[in-house]
Amino acid sequence: MRDALSGEGGIAGGALTCEGVTFSYDEGRSRVQALDSVTFDQPAGCATALLGPTGSGKSTLLQVVRGLLDQQAGSVSLDGVTADDPRYEAVRRQVGLVFQMPELQLFAASAFEDVSFGPRQLGWPPLQVERAANAALASVGLPVERFARRHPHSLSGGEQRRLALAGVLAMRPRLLLLDEPFVGLDPRARRELVAVLATLRAEGAGFILATHDIDLAWQLCDSRLLLDDGRLVGAGPWAFGEGGEDELVAHRLCPPFFVALWERLGRPLAEAPRSAAEAAEALA
Amino acid sequence: MKTAIAAYYPGSSLIHRFDPRAKLVAVAAFSVALFVRTSYWSLAVLGLACLTGFALSHVPPRWFWRGLRPILWLVAFTFVLQALFGPGELLVRLGPLDISREGVERAAYLSLRLIVLVVAGSLLTLTTPPVALTDGLAWLGRPLRKLHLPTEELALMVTIALRFIPTLLAELDTIMRAQRARGADFSRGGPLRRARALVPLLVPLFVSAFRRADELALAMEARCYLPGVRRTRLHPLAAGRRDFLLLLSVAAIVTLALAV
Repeated sequence: MRDALSGEGGIAGGALTCEGVTFSYDEGRSRVQALDSVTFDQPAGCATALLGPTGSGKSTLLQVVRGLLDQQAGSVSLDGVTADDPRYEAVRRQVGLVFQMPELQLFAASAFEDVSFGPRQLGWPPLQVERAANAALASVGLPVERFARRHPHSLSGGEQRRLALAGVLAMRPRLLLLDEPFVGLDPRARRELVAVLATLRAEGAGFILATHDIDLAWQLCDSRLLLDDGRLVGAGPWAFGEGGEDELVAHRLCPPFFVALWERLGRPLAEAPRSAAEAAEALA
Repeated sequence: MKTAIAAYYPGSSLIHRFDPRAKLVAVAAFSVALFVRTSYWSLAVLGLACLTGFALSHVPPRWFWRGLRPILWLVAFTFVLQALFGPGELLVRLGPLDISREGVERAAYLSLRLIVLVVAGSLLTLTTPPVALTDGLAWLGRPLRKLHLPTEELALMVTIALRFIPTLLAELDTIMRAQRARGADFSRGGPLRRARALVPLLVPLFVSAFRRADELALAMEARCYLPGVRRTRLHPLAAGRRDFLLLLSVAAIVTLALAV
């Protein structure tokens, strides 16, 4: 998996700065405030969990960062390129957004066709398109020999989800945004997707992972953004042992299983493990 | 998102409160009268009745205009065709084209008739919620059950179809944003390229519409829906004296229109 992407450069860069981002939806007679002056920094190559109860503005924030929704106030800049830079549009297009239930957007007659849609839209030469599509398929654990010719709708749910992810990776994003990628997957499909994300993570890819699954967020991400009712109420490292666990509870969430376990065991929360393997090692 | 299809203007005017069945019958009778008798006087009578209904409905003219706009090109087309090719006494000559007096008169008549027809139809759809409309149609179609036509089921199909228009539009919006995130462009290039750009929208939309239809069918069965069974209604249709008076006055107007 690693070679497939690193040969083509993989995901690099992707330092994101959001400054006072404000967005409201037009609901006919009234406006619904979805984001209220959201300000944060996401360093390049950092994996961040975007947490918050349903309706807190997670999806809206991701779509604003990708440039699909235009914020009413505030600014978004990527790798220091701001809105007044002529390269801005091009750089913004290099944010890869994987929608919620992205398999619903598959449309081509083969897995390869679907993955190469993005690169072709970018106007890349055919050879480069093919290399990018093949590398992306391999990087999500869908080996080209076995999957490239398959019809997307003949794949399993988990494979479809990873195929949709490949469609975004093929465009060589600087930063990856994932909107609830684990929703509706069975345990095995989930484990396979987690493995793909962990590999991307190990290769230094930066991503923002919006999820309700606090355990996977804790396992995969080094820091977190906490949204509640459109306001950013927490950012930076998890800070368990320094009030991070109470903060989650205060905003209608709950701490990860291993953090709760460490609390029960009376062990320091700052050393709470992220996975069963780490827990076993610590307890041995 | 507003669509011209089955637009309903909520209100509580006299026209809104009529029973949908009475309104359906009235508009049907009205339309037949409009086409059975070809005379300016009958057109004037029916047009005036239509305007009265329009005034009583308290629906802003803008909403009628929205219904009229799509057929204006048809009106214009009819007008030009009739004016150019209708036989009769010569009025003016434009190069090789002869325009006759009868042709112009006929064109004006046909155009006005079309407009009156559309306004009458809009009066019905604008003042009647879609569900009431299909309930009314189902009731009026009851005699056809004797011929084993599934009228109730057809009415339910129409109701469900109308109910899902906003849902599918919202879904289309999401799919559009998702494909734009993948670099799709729906506004660039010639007609062929634009038509091709629709594939990434339409395939997912149809797939999910079929999936939804499947799920809805199962959910309805799980809640004991059986086709062909008489169901009771939450809001039974109830016609009163008001509706009787509507039918009576429409009958009078139609008789007058056919007589003059």
